[in-house]
Amino acid sequence: MSFTIAATVEEAVEAMANGARPIAGGTDLVVGARHGKSALPDDLVAIDRLAELAEIGPGPGGHRVGALVTHAQLMIDPFIVENYTALADAAALVGSPSTRNVGTLGGNVMNASPAMDTGAPLLVFGATARVAGPGGERTVPLDELWTGPGTTSAAANELLIALNLPMPSDRCGSAYVRLEYRRAMEIAVVGAAAGVTLAEDGTVASASVALSAVAPTIVAVAGTDALNGLALADAAATAAELASDQASPISDLRASDSYRRHCVGVMAKRAVDAACRRAAGESISVPVNRALGIGAA
Amino acid sequence: MSLNEAPKFVRADGPDKVTGSGRYTADMNMTGQLVAKFRYADVAHARVTKIDVSAAKATPGVLAVLTAADVPDLRYSPVVPDRTLFVKDVVRFEGEIVAAVAAVNAATAQAAVDSIVFEYDGLPVVTDLEAALADGSPIVHEGWESYGVSGDTVQRPNVASFSSIEKGDIRAGLAAADHVITSRYVADASHALPIEPRAVLAQWEGNKVTIWTSTQVPFDARNGVCETLQMPSSRVRIIVPHLGGGFGGKCGFHFEAHIAALARASKRPVKLVFSRREEFLAPDRRREGMIVDITTGVTNDGTITAREGWIAIDNGAYTADAAFFPQLAAMHVAGPYVSPNVFVESSLVYTNHQPSGSVRAPTAPQACWALESHTDEIARTIGMDPVDFRRKNTVDEGLEGPAAQVYGEIGLRRCLETAVANSAYGSQLPENEAVGVAVGWWPSFPGPSGAYIKVDADGSGQIITGAQECGTGSVMTLRYLAAEELGMEPEDFELVYQDTSAAPYDTGATGSQTLLNNGRAVIEGAREVAAQLRDVAADQLEAAAGDIVLADGFAHVSGSPDRNVSIVELAGIAAEGEMLIGKGSGTPPDYPTVSATCVGDQGVAGWAGPQFSCHAVRVRLDRDTGVVRVLEISAAHDSGTIINPIAAHGQVEGGITMGIGQALSEGTVYGDDAKQRNAGLLEYKLQTAADAPLVTTEFIEIPDPNAGPRGAKGLAEAPNVPTAAAIANAVAQLIGEPVRQLPMTPERVWAVSEGSSS
Repeated sequence: MSFTIAATVEEAVEAMANGARPIAGGTDLVVGARHGKSALPDDLVAIDRLAELAEIGPGPGGHRVGALVTHAQLMIDPFIVENYTALADAAALVGSPSTRNVGTLGGNVMNASPAMDTGAPLLVFGATARVAGPGGERTVPLDELWTGPGTTSAAANELLIALNLPMPSDRCGSAYVRLEYRRAMEIAVVGAAAGVTLAEDGTVASASVALSAVAPTIVAVAGTDALNGLALADAAATAAELASDQASPISDLRASDSYRRHCVGVMAKRAVDAACRRAAGESISVPVNRALGIGAA
Repeated sequence: MSLNEAPKFVRADGPDKVTGSGRYTADMNMTGQLVAKFRYADVAHARVTKIDVSAAKATPGVLAVLTAADVPDLRYSPVVPDRTLFVKDVVRFEGEIVAAVAAVNAATAQAAVDSIVFEYDGLPVVTDLEAALADGSPIVHEGWESYGVSGDTVQRPNVASFSSIEKGDIRAGLAAADHVITSRYVADASHALPIEPRAVLAQWEGNKVTIWTSTQVPFDARNGVCETLQMPSSRVRIIVPHLGGGFGGKCGFHFEAHIAALARASKRPVKLVFSRREEFLAPDRRREGMIVDITTGVTNDGTITAREGWIAIDNGAYTADAAFFPQLAAMHVAGPYVSPNVFVESSLVYTNHQPSGSVRAPTAPQACWALESHTDEIARTIGMDPVDFRRKNTVDEGLEGPAAQVYGEIGLRRCLETAVANSAYGSQLPENEAVGVAVGWWPSFPGPSGAYIKVDADGSGQIITGAQECGTGSVMTLRYLAAEELGMEPEDFELVYQDTSAAPYDTGATGSQTLLNNGRAVIEGAREVAAQLRDVAADQLEAAAGDIVLADGFAHVSGSPDRNVSIVELAGIAAEGEMLIGKGSGTPPDYPTVSATCVGDQGVAGWAGPQFSCHAVRVRLDRDTGVVRVLEISAAHDSGTIINPIAAHGQVEGGITMGIGQALSEGTVYGDDAKQRNAGLLEYKLQTAADAPLVTTEFIEIPDPNAGPRGAKGLAEAPNVPTAAAIANAVAQLIGEPVRQLPMTPERVWAVSEGSSS
């Protein structure tokens, strides 16, 4: 049993190579252990003091969000809210104020829950994960990182250090909405993120949509080219159809598969609607769920 | 009285709780203390073939392992004694205790629990209430006929307690109707869910045991220990540190005897602290699932001619305190309406689920939800405004209720008018919003109760009371009542409470009865002290005792405020001679007798201090998903005189929030194996602070001469009664028909709305 406080990424990776699990906010690890999901690991390495992992700034080909950036930071960071609004929408819905204050983006991504809130926005933005291992750093596309519920393709001795987000284009907007049964301490029943770039005539030039809690991982919706050239209402309706068709939800305590399939279409429609309106310059405050009275709002 | 004019109480327990200096049971620790863990059956219905604890007993660090063989062989529970401390031959629900272990630490105790060999032959589970009542159903309690139930309790196969209420001629009444409306409503079980999971710590000295426990009812807990361990009450002392909520879930006797027995066997103090999962699975207190069939006959002008009801209540595996549930549910399904002809049959049905027990207003929120949804169906059928229908048919002064009780001055119709007037009912609303209205009622529960009052040499007072504080603040209000009698300040009094060896009996924090009964006791005790103070003052002031007035910390001669002496000085004088000590109990108000025919009478058809309420709830529906959000609630309550308005408003707001949870999100989901599937806070959805709506409350203060101090009735349970019903009526307006299952989850609302639009 050991507890290491890492002062550098190298120290963290070394401890992980010796079997330690990284801990930052602990909102998944500790809560999961107390729920009996899985016991706390014998060996832990605290990464919360790696200051360079807590920064938001320029990165290769766009912007870089450190793995230790908290949900509370993301939801109010002016740069994120302006350029990657869906990520702020998602961060603002996570857990409770205390969860958001200590829970990190890196933790949310590596916990790899199919119901995670930040995953669908990241997928829509085409984000990539930067991971550090004993042999150095490498970049992993998110759809290759997430391999199933709670599993990733990262090795046990690889540490997520940042998410790289491509530069946003002009006339773009994004949004994340989820179905929720209450306004705090909630997990997405289903969710959808949309990123949209508008043509000069206001129709959709390009769009991407990703879904939460309807598959073993966060999934991108295929065939969103079908939205190109459509005006807002038609684009949103098309996204709804694509989302419902492509979802492969399960039935569990939170919802039946058929209700999830229906609702993920509703969420996709609303995400595309809000993303288009933001792209057109309308100000819709973060999170969309509260601003537009979606779900329990 | 407006909140601004209200007496301002700083709760005596408030600063401790807010600053964290208060001690709860789980905070208590003793030298040499052991950790207790239970081995649960983890199967809902089975015949035991083997229980082997030898490996657990041999585990180093384990100092006691107990099973049914180690405690007196008897069944307990009030009215229907069907329970044993440990599993004997048959397991009847998953949370039954096979064995209890005390060990030096939690890991050792858990390892010992895991080493216990428990083998059984599975039996078919009984889960469906109607199937349980059918011929040929497996019987949950073979040998039930020999259990020796008390009073007028009526039993049948798989029915722990049956009651009916009959008045007039139901067939003739239905025949006289222009319309006969029949509805079925089904409610899932739910939980009390206090935030503090329960804890018990027991320590023996000689042949006496002291038990610190998170109970709402210390004297019931003591009685349970005395009964199951065969001890006199003089050797069992129950102390309750601060209690982290209860909502009824901590009423009754639970695990105190198991821990006392472990402490005796191990010769060490032993402490039990429940996990959240145990808090869901093991207690015999959850809100009961229910099926309600109601038929009402009405004439074209909206007059009720007859009301018929059939109720099946999920008792679970054991009866706990639920024997009165059928009669109480029958009163709520008949409801606060005038009907010349009434016939309601109600059964408490054994299943292999967790036992049901008194959770805040037992049976009422579900039964009221069924009745009031049905009432709106009636109004829709005959084309009458639902509020007008209630104006026409609800009980009022001089009118007769379903059990033929004739009421004095009551505030139901004023509640209806007030709550509706304070709401947006009848105004133009967005197409996805509506206001639903429901009325409710609830009895007050007179009973014996006692208190001592003393004033010490320095003029400080103590109230030594059997009453129990579960968070409502009603015990805190006792200081105000004593102070008023003695011309002192509430802050002059310390409360000594929640200790069965210090104070006389009180029923506990149950049945909204603390102010009603213990308030009476405290006032009577304070009056004894007041008489003693007047005697001392009469000597000092050379006046007649009858002319002495106690006010503002002084005794003065009536009409001559300058002839005075301070109470502090009088207390000092008394301390040198005949001391200032009072005792109070008083005669509880009577329960009215009723003339309806009550088979299986459990004493809850005639209501003393009946309380009335109306909630008008504005909701918004997300039509695409079925998500309902409660925007604002207008509440009006007749709970008689309100003595502590701040606490009273808090009770209404809390009860409403609990009611929203029951309406929309809280329900136990059972698997086919009769085990709970959502026994945790992640999947059992409480409402959060962020979900709470705006609540506007008005009290209709009609002092009740046959109730508590100054005409106060009970209050704490009543606000929980009509909320779900009012929400349901708003939702039904929006989707065109009622959602006939509780909770009305988004998926259920969506399914009904899809069905009605296609």
